[in-house]
Amino acid sequence: MSQPVVVYEPFKAGLPPMRAYLRSLWRRRAFISEFARSELREQNYGSVFGQLWLVLNPLLLSGVYFLLIYVIGGTSDETRFAHLTATLFLFYLIANSLTGGVKAITSGQRLILNTSFPRIMLPVSAVVVALFKFFPTLAVAFAIHAILGLPYSWQMLWAFPVLALAIVMGLGMAILISCINVYFRDISSMLPYLTRSLLYLSPILYEVSSISSNIKQFQIVNPIFYLLDSWSRVMVHAEAPTTYAMVHSAIFAFTIFIVGTYFFLSRERDFAVRL
Amino acid sequence: MISLSDFNSQHPHGSIAVSVQDLGLTYTTSIDKKPTLKARLKTLGRGKKHSRIVRALNGVNLDVHYGTVLGIIGSNGAGKSSLMRVISGIVPPTQGRIEVHGSVSTLLALGVGFNQAMTGRENVYLGGLAAGMTRAEIDASFQAIADFSELGEAIDAPMRTYSSGMFARLAFSVAAVVEPDILIVDEALSTGDAHFKAKSLNRMKELRTADRALILVSHALATIEDLCNEVIWLDKGKLMARGNPTEVIAAYREFMNVRKSASSDEDV
Repeated sequence: MSQPVVVYEPFKAGLPPMRAYLRSLWRRRAFISEFARSELREQNYGSVFGQLWLVLNPLLLSGVYFLLIYVIGGTSDETRFAHLTATLFLFYLIANSLTGGVKAITSGQRLILNTSFPRIMLPVSAVVVALFKFFPTLAVAFAIHAILGLPYSWQMLWAFPVLALAIVMGLGMAILISCINVYFRDISSMLPYLTRSLLYLSPILYEVSSISSNIKQFQIVNPIFYLLDSWSRVMVHAEAPTTYAMVHSAIFAFTIFIVGTYFFLSRERDFAVRL
Repeated sequence: MISLSDFNSQHPHGSIAVSVQDLGLTYTTSIDKKPTLKARLKTLGRGKKHSRIVRALNGVNLDVHYGTVLGIIGSNGAGKSSLMRVISGIVPPTQGRIEVHGSVSTLLALGVGFNQAMTGRENVYLGGLAAGMTRAEIDASFQAIADFSELGEAIDAPMRTYSSGMFARLAFSVAAVVEPDILIVDEALSTGDAHFKAKSLNRMKELRTADRALILVSHALATIEDLCNEVIWLDKGKLMARGNPTEVIAAYREFMNVRKSASSDEDV
């Protein structure tokens, strides 16, 4: 009969035994979803519409841009409206992962100081919350697509790999920033400006085709530039994304994910004493 | 009742549960309240230190065997909670080595993982999952938890409508159904009213079986003497004495009286 023996030794920056770590993370998947659900409930607690806000938020947001483009702008450019809403919704998936992730460790202080569990659960739950917020927006985006009478094609199945890359990117960013925030709390104050800049630097308020190639060459450093471009092509134009865009997004998504996870896992045992 | 899913191996009485060897723990706490970039930059190049070192534990050696109920006593800041956190794997030691043979459940603070916006029922699930139980295990023991907490219909009311006593009762009830090999309890017994206190004390006595190890931290010396069959006394991170509860508690009392007469730490 083998007894489980756990040995605790002085902290050294380095990866924990990965198989055991992943197993215990998997065992706690129910906690991740329950924790994310309770976070969401808390955010809408006491409001009249409650969880209906998950649908109301994207509706109102698209309403505002409808006002901007059709009423104030005076144009009736359907693709522009569809592009704006679709990419904005995907952008919010990334931005919500970041804003949820940045406080994931520091606000989980009570949990961290009193229970032993894989700490990466906390930023992962932040991404799950962002996903819960994202799914209703997908329905709104499809409704807009149908109302505007935009084209459909099998190429729209590309949405799955693009979304998968967005989730990997969101996870990587949430994990990385939650860890950075333990050591440099300033990052949480800088974050709103970071996401705002990212919003303007990404092809959301404009399409890639409308910017000069001069500016375009700098976009290679923007991790989500080609991801959003691909999303727009797939969801709005019903076209396949370019290979370059997919490769660019995949390289960024996996690099951020791997770097973030390595950084997090090698430091997480040190978090308890830094909170 | 239930047990933590993965570990249901039986541990023979007297086999080792936790082995602590030459344990040292130093905290480097920052002098600034929050480690910000600005604070760093302001003192850059001036050679000013940002942190001071706190020795929380110093050369502690300890073996806990199955069948033992170990009480830990000591004044505030003696290192009791630090020792519990190191044994349960929350804080890594700075020196030495700890071996844990079996599943550990910690009750270091009440209501960890609870969310005020959710109902008592939902928090039972949240708290249970946070403690490492599976959903099926919580389903199976939900009634036992609800009954133990004596909350009645209030279990379906949002947690923020609870009094602090009700909160503590539910939190203890969730923790009390977990049946690990090694249970670590830190100052959690003195919650609720007198009736509930007696009830939780009884629950601890039930958990006191030969194939389990209990580690109990408390300032309530009478409770420690009643429950434990071995006591250690920590002071300023050092192990001062270890052995028979009556003797160690007497030595501790004497020590405390020498340091400051009259007022006692007794609270139960």
